[in-house]
Amino acid sequence: MNKENDILKWFNGELSTEEIKKLYPNEDLTALEKSRFYSRQLEAPKVDAQKALADFRKRNSKKEDTKVIPLNFKSFLKIAAVLVLMLSASYFLFFNNEKSFATEIAQTEILNLPDNSEVILNAKSNLSFNKKSWKKNRLLELDGEAFFKVSKGEQFTVKTDAGDVKVLGTQFNVKERDNYFEVKCYEGLVSVTHKEKVKMINPGETFRVVNGTIVNVEKFNTKNPAWLSKESSFDKVPLWQVIDELEIQYDINISAEDIETTTMFSGSFTHTDKNIALQSVTIPLNLSYKINGNQVELYSYGSQ
Amino acid sequence: MSSSKPKLCNETHFKAFYLDHIQAVSNFAYYKCGDNAAALDFVQDAFAKIWENCAKIDFSKAKTYLFTTVNNLFLNTVRHQKVVLSYAKASPYLDKTNQNPEYLLEEEEFKKKLQSVIADLSDDQREVFLLNRIEDKKYREIAELLDISQKTVEKRMSGALKVLREKLGHENF
Repeated sequence: MNKENDILKWFNGELSTEEIKKLYPNEDLTALEKSRFYSRQLEAPKVDAQKALADFRKRNSKKEDTKVIPLNFKSFLKIAAVLVLMLSASYFLFFNNEKSFATEIAQTEILNLPDNSEVILNAKSNLSFNKKSWKKNRLLELDGEAFFKVSKGEQFTVKTDAGDVKVLGTQFNVKERDNYFEVKCYEGLVSVTHKEKVKMINPGETFRVVNGTIVNVEKFNTKNPAWLSKESSFDKVPLWQVIDELEIQYDINISAEDIETTTMFSGSFTHTDKNIALQSVTIPLNLSYKINGNQVELYSYGSQ
Repeated sequence: MSSSKPKLCNETHFKAFYLDHIQAVSNFAYYKCGDNAAALDFVQDAFAKIWENCAKIDFSKAKTYLFTTVNNLFLNTVRHQKVVLSYAKASPYLDKTNQNPEYLLEEEEFKKKLQSVIADLSDDQREVFLLNRIEDKKYREIAELLDISQKTVEKRMSGALKVLREKLGHENF
């Protein structure tokens, strides 16, 4: 072990050849001595340092061309654009508080409002409200016809083009069609503002405006609007309004050129059978009808 | 103070560093693979690595980094040629006064034998042995260069010497 260490020291230059020979006179160190001496004369191939450096520069600069990607402002813009798009899209998706519902012809929809009030939307109607301000202000905008079951709470307002309907907690039906505005109260007390006049409506009472004039309507005693049970019910309503309703419920075009459409109609028609519905409107008025695809012509017996 | 410290990322400093070490590290690479072109390739790769990471490497550590990088690059290459080094021309014999032709022939024989024995050493043993012999490096310096302990260097050297003694022992001559 010691000898090995000393030999290592000899090769490391810590001991001279004379010293090691003196330390181990009986040891044959010729091979090591020769190895030590001649290996010193060995040479590695010479490197042309300047040429190597030039080569290095060449390959390094080549590398840089392909490898170094400069901070690309364009890609920043791309990322920014995507971010903006995502943010605005998510804003409209998640923070758009305007909720709106629409029904098509011959379609009704039952909606639940955030306060558990229920709205049943009749055909071809549009209802919208702001989800965020709903808690503070129960305000709906309606275009068409809907039945409301309002749960008790703060004032509940239905805005229409023809006027506002305000309640506290009740059941009522609002119908706002062209030249026709009708509010029916089924429960509680409804206040209708029409042309800056406030009218209070008790259960069973109807507030109806036809062509801008308020019409007196007799009391009714049904619990729900007829249209909820797939029927349209009329009580001294001008025929043109009945025709409008028929058109909405059946997706048909009714022409009634030769007949008096201001005739009052009392009765109802079903939403499930077009022929029965047309009959239940025409027969009481001594009228008849012809169906031609989507076109329906009303005429009186006499003229035909 | 720190501003005067050489920085690797500085073009002139790097150039100086390159020229200072290119020969030594090329030798080292050659001791490992025995192929001059391949050795130089590895060395250039190692320098390129240092240049790429110049900001992360302290100048004082760069030399060790250079050698260990070359070392690691070799670990990734399995095959290499037999490392046969040539002798410097017109080098003297051990006994300078002895001009006996028989002696000279004997010494030439030995030198040839030594070449092949060195070529047959393990890579680790050969690189330590040659760094010590040709580069005249102390074990401590080799340990620093290769980022290994001095004990490991001595162990490898000792192993190399054992092989040399076994294969070049007097009974062969």
